[in-house]
Amino acid sequence: MLTIKNLCKKYGRNLAVNNLSLEVRPGEIYGFVGPNGAGKTTTMKIICGLLSATSGDITLDGVDVIRDYKKIKEKLGYMPDFFGVYDDLKVHEYLEFYASIYHIKGSRRSKLIDDLLELVDLTGKKEAYVDSLSRGMKQRLCLARSLVHNPGLLVLDEPASGMDPRARVEMKEILRNLKSMGKTIIISSHILPELAELCTSIGIIDKGRMVVSGSVSDILQQVYSKQVIRVKVLDKLEEAALIMREFPFVDKLNVGENTLQAGFEGGEAEMSRVLAALVNRQIPVASFSQLEGNLEDIFMKVTKGEEE
Amino acid sequence: MNINPVLLKELKVRMRGWRAAAMIALYLLILAAVAVFIIYTTYMNPYSSTVDPQASVGSYTVLAIFQFILILFIVPALTAGAISGEREKQTLDLVLCTRLRPISIILGKLFASLSQIILLIAASLPVFSTVFLFGGISMMEILQLFGFYAVTALTIGTIGIYFSVSLKRTTAATVLTYGVVAFMTLGSIFITVLYLGMVYNMSYDKFFPLLYINPIAGFSSLLSGQFGSSANFLPGFGSANAAAKGLLEPWQVNILFDIGLSVLLAALSAYKINPVRKGIAVLWKRKK
Ligand SMILES: Nc1ncnc2c1ncn2[C@@H]1O[C@H](COP(=O)(O)OP(=O)(O)OP(=O)(O)O)[C@@H](O)[C@H]1O
Ligand SMILES: [Mg+2]
Repeated sequence: MLTIKNLCKKYGRNLAVNNLSLEVRPGEIYGFVGPNGAGKTTTMKIICGLLSATSGDITLDGVDVIRDYKKIKEKLGYMPDFFGVYDDLKVHEYLEFYASIYHIKGSRRSKLIDDLLELVDLTGKKEAYVDSLSRGMKQRLCLARSLVHNPGLLVLDEPASGMDPRARVEMKEILRNLKSMGKTIIISSHILPELAELCTSIGIIDKGRMVVSGSVSDILQQVYSKQVIRVKVLDKLEEAALIMREFPFVDKLNVGENTLQAGFEGGEAEMSRVLAALVNRQIPVASFSQLEGNLEDIFMKVTKGEEE
Repeated sequence: MNINPVLLKELKVRMRGWRAAAMIALYLLILAAVAVFIIYTTYMNPYSSTVDPQASVGSYTVLAIFQFILILFIVPALTAGAISGEREKQTLDLVLCTRLRPISIILGKLFASLSQIILLIAASLPVFSTVFLFGGISMMEILQLFGFYAVTALTIGTIGIYFSVSLKRTTAATVLTYGVVAFMTLGSIFITVLYLGMVYNMSYDKFFPLLYINPIAGFSSLLSGQFGSSANFLPGFGSANAAAKGLLEPWQVNILFDIGLSVLLAALSAYKINPVRKGIAVLWKRKK
């Protein structure tokens, strides 16, 4: 559905997004996790045509987002991390405004607005002024707003930020509903556990780079075992995957384009055994590494959630 | 029929409640008071016993100037915050990520911001028409005046919108808009006087084309034309006046200039508000 390839974004000399690639398949909830300043908002704005990319390619349903940004606006709904609402408008008038942009009128419009308000649980607030809503309610209203034109992809930037625990649970419930309606969702957060139970896939990003990505169970395993090895091969990717799966201490293998990534429980001796096995069976290994450095830090940050 | 959604929404908010109505009522009251006062004082003149068209012409002039100055002063304040205000309130992205075309956003915002002043001017038409009943001024001339108002408001409005799109802060946009209006009105006269003084040895009856951009020059040429006088309100519009050569009147040229500038600035604003606009260089590269 959505494919991002080698996306870069520079603000002056600051590289906010650095060679980021990811793929979101239809019907997925993709969790975009990273500490503050990781580049989540920047990436999402580029997807929505609100920011130009420095380089890279994004396609949505085969449409080039960067060149054909007009077409993609029909297909996606965006909810920013920070947003304002118009004063002096009632809740239903607020939604009517966005519906009228998409030429939705008359009885179709009033039915749509009732449905959306029910979905986000604001039916009772239909006649209230937008100003008078609490922050959590405004966020739900903004979510409803992003749905008026029935987009296939939802890009939600920290939709639950600033909400109390109960409201977060409700928000998750709404998102599950949307998933069952067939929507594909990208959602960002700087706390991993918050997304883990909701998402189907997760990408962890730090300083503009994708650190790990894969299905939720794999990521969780990797994060909590805190040891990850990454093998890059020139060829015979499938074969290499089979070999690695033979080892009991290799866990949750993730197969990328030409890399294999797995959780690993063992020391250097075990690591060298894996490498030897690969080399012995003629796999052209280009690199074999343990994800090192500040990975642990990042995991600490995204698992605990840093206070802003 | 599809009315611009941005315009529709803003009109709904602006015209709601008693405030808009109260504003119009108050404004009309002031205009009417001015008109009555002028006509009354002229009739108090002991030497005139008949209906004197001079009185209505006098009050027409005063009302016309009053309204014109109002436009010059209020339109920058109304429009310079139109886009930057949405940026400050963080509502702009929510509109930009919809299918709405940039030019629709610009025009919707422009006319919504001008709606109050347009309403005031339209509502003043009956007051002007009362003046017309006393003679001395034709309906056609009143409509001419209102057309000139509309074009001037539109032009200053697009200047305000352009700065509102270009600058992050409303305050900066407002200051620059007033600055440009001050240049067009006062600055251009100052330069003309300076130029004529130095080049033509202070013969101020020469013509200097910079004044074509000046709304005050256009306005005064419109009024003096209506009174059938070739009185020269301003230096630089002297006997070498373009009209004398059988070309367009200065106010007509001013209107053409204004329309051109408005179209240009509206197009530039629409280009600038688009966050993923392609620079000329990029367009060229992509084609290759
Ligand atoms: N308009 C801007 N101008 C310059 N630098 C910017 C701008 N917006 C973001 N950045 C920089 O880009 C980097 C990524 O920012 P971004 O907002 O995408 O992070 P984020 O992952 O959304 O963080 P958060 O969790 O705080 O929302 C940061 O280093 C930030 O300082
Ligand atoms: Mg962010």
